[in-house]
Amino acid sequence: MIASQAVRAAPLRRAVRLRPRHAIHTSRPRAHVARPHTTAEVRTFIAVSAAIGFVFVLAMLYLAQTTTVSARGYEAQRLMQVRDELRRQNALLEVDNARLDAPARIDAEARKLGLIRVASIPVIQPEAVQATTATTDRR
Amino acid sequence: MTETVSPRRLRGIFVVFACATLLLSLRVGYWQTIGRGDLLEGATDQVRSDLVVGAQRGVVRDRSGALLATTVSLRSLYALPKRVADHVDAAVKLAPLLGTTSETVRAALDSGAEWLYLRRRLSEQTAKAVEALAITGLGFENEPKRLYPNDTVGAHLLGFVNDDGVGQYGIEGAYDALLKGVPGRLVVERDPKDRELAIGLRTARAAVAGADLTLTVDLVIQNACERELRAAIEKEKATGGSCVILDPRDGAILALASYPTYDPSAVVNADPQALMDRAISWTYEPGSTMKAITIAGAIDQYVVTPNTTYEDKGYAIIGGRRLNNALGKSYGTSTVTQILEHSANAGAVFVAQKLGAVQLRAYLDAFGFGKASGIDLSGEATGDVRPLAEWYPVDLGTIAFGQGIAATPLQLAAAYAAIANGGTLYRPYAVAARRDADGEHRTAPVAVRRPISPETAATMRTMLTSTVDNGIANGASVAHFSIAGKTGTAQIPSDDGRYLDDSYISSFAGFAPANDPRFVAVIVIERPQSRLLGTVTAMSAFRNIAQDALRSMRIQPDRP
Repeated sequence: MIASQAVRAAPLRRAVRLRPRHAIHTSRPRAHVARPHTTAEVRTFIAVSAAIGFVFVLAMLYLAQTTTVSARGYEAQRLMQVRDELRRQNALLEVDNARLDAPARIDAEARKLGLIRVASIPVIQPEAVQATTATTDRR
Repeated sequence: MTETVSPRRLRGIFVVFACATLLLSLRVGYWQTIGRGDLLEGATDQVRSDLVVGAQRGVVRDRSGALLATTVSLRSLYALPKRVADHVDAAVKLAPLLGTTSETVRAALDSGAEWLYLRRRLSEQTAKAVEALAITGLGFENEPKRLYPNDTVGAHLLGFVNDDGVGQYGIEGAYDALLKGVPGRLVVERDPKDRELAIGLRTARAAVAGADLTLTVDLVIQNACERELRAAIEKEKATGGSCVILDPRDGAILALASYPTYDPSAVVNADPQALMDRAISWTYEPGSTMKAITIAGAIDQYVVTPNTTYEDKGYAIIGGRRLNNALGKSYGTSTVTQILEHSANAGAVFVAQKLGAVQLRAYLDAFGFGKASGIDLSGEATGDVRPLAEWYPVDLGTIAFGQGIAATPLQLAAAYAAIANGGTLYRPYAVAARRDADGEHRTAPVAVRRPISPETAATMRTMLTSTVDNGIANGASVAHFSIAGKTGTAQIPSDDGRYLDDSYISSFAGFAPANDPRFVAVIVIERPQSRLLGTVTAMSAFRNIAQDALRSMRIQPDRP
């Protein structure tokens, strides 16, 4: 009997002592009731964070795009200046080329070299050319 | 003891603050509504630039593609004097490069201007030399400059572009609207470094470049023409002269020269007299070169033939006036061909009397004298052929040998071209083609009319060839080629209606090869020192030009 009493009493005492008053409210039953609230908050938090993140990414993308366009614009402008300068240099070279090719300049240079204009231009008659060709062929 | 603020004072402060707040609110409201546009405009103006984008002026080339005129951006040197640390040092360094004195440069720097050009449109070498000095406060700005690589060659034909970018005289003047293009516009926002922003406000209307022109002119022949004209004028110490060479087959101008000349790149230094194109804007009494026109009319009307004879006594009486041959020579019984060979004035009067004043006037009209030829160059003169009603009886005789009418060298060349090509008068033209955004547009030759028949033209070619082979124009002959032509010596009318003593205009008009003419040339020398012998120099110039032209055009000889 003592043993059985002891056996019975012990679970009772243990049950009473092991369940403090505050544990009743904070253990399983409470967790079971609060779960829907926590999920909603988390979802809201995630949604808001995602939205903010999305807007941030969008803003960053826009900023990056704008910055890139600006940078490309400056680059394009620089390249256009280079192109214009090259075109200018090309035009100047073309003028120099035309100056060097000018018949008046060549005439003047020829005179400086002591060259004189021929009084008449010798003309080879076609008959003479044909006769020479015929003679060569016969040989 | 505690001090308290009376409610009355509190209310006063409240009212003051309330009024101030109200005023400020109204002011803010005004700037946000009614004044918004002004604010926005002011802000935009600080970053916006509205520029006129100049159109590239068209390029001019000769018929083989050689560059005659082009526009290039040259660098202009400007200064911000306040940023130039040492004006004296800068002036000393710049002066030799700019070809001026250091005092001049220093005066410019000390002028008090915030910004000024020190020299505009520098040559590239000078610009690089100035750039190498690396003087703070100096900078460059590109400005367009019309350049003519052949310097004075073709100056009168090409004309020039003035400081306002407007073409004057010649091709530049006549084709200014085509050459200059249409300016564009660029409205763009700029950053503080004056760079264009790729984003933001941007309005652009691209400039339309001017059309490129290809001329009928041959640079080699043009050069020969100018060289020989200059040599002839210097040899004769003449006051001026001109030369026209054109293709008789379609009226295309191959060369056109006038002397004195000028550099179209530096017109500001030119003598105003040199700007006149004596080939198209100046008229003269052509003298004996007109005998060919008189005789062509008479042959065309069948009133004479090349073999018709007359008795040359050295003079002719017409309208009560005695008209002498040059130097009073008499040639006895002569043919009409010999009239040209001897250049006999009496013979020309004989032919004119056969033809009659009405017909002579009609042929002058038909050959294009007395009205502009219609060449596509600016500043053409019409010449002067008086109406028949104003002719005195003697005029029939004098006009028969080229006195009493005024013509331009171009008109005479066009008339000789009609004889050379078989009787068709073409409108002379200088632009062979223009190229623009729509492609190339070629100029079609314009046949104006047929003043004489092909048979008459062929007869005249033979007679003019004989004039060179056997007559007075022998000095124009070129070995292995048939040459046709006629000399001309004309007196110069004075202001009182008489003719000047011992002052003449010598000329030669001819074409080659006579059997299949490829070019017509007219050379005119004003007041040659050798007087009546000025035609010898003109013929010599023709011969030298003809040799160059025949070689340049690769024309085969037509004589052994």
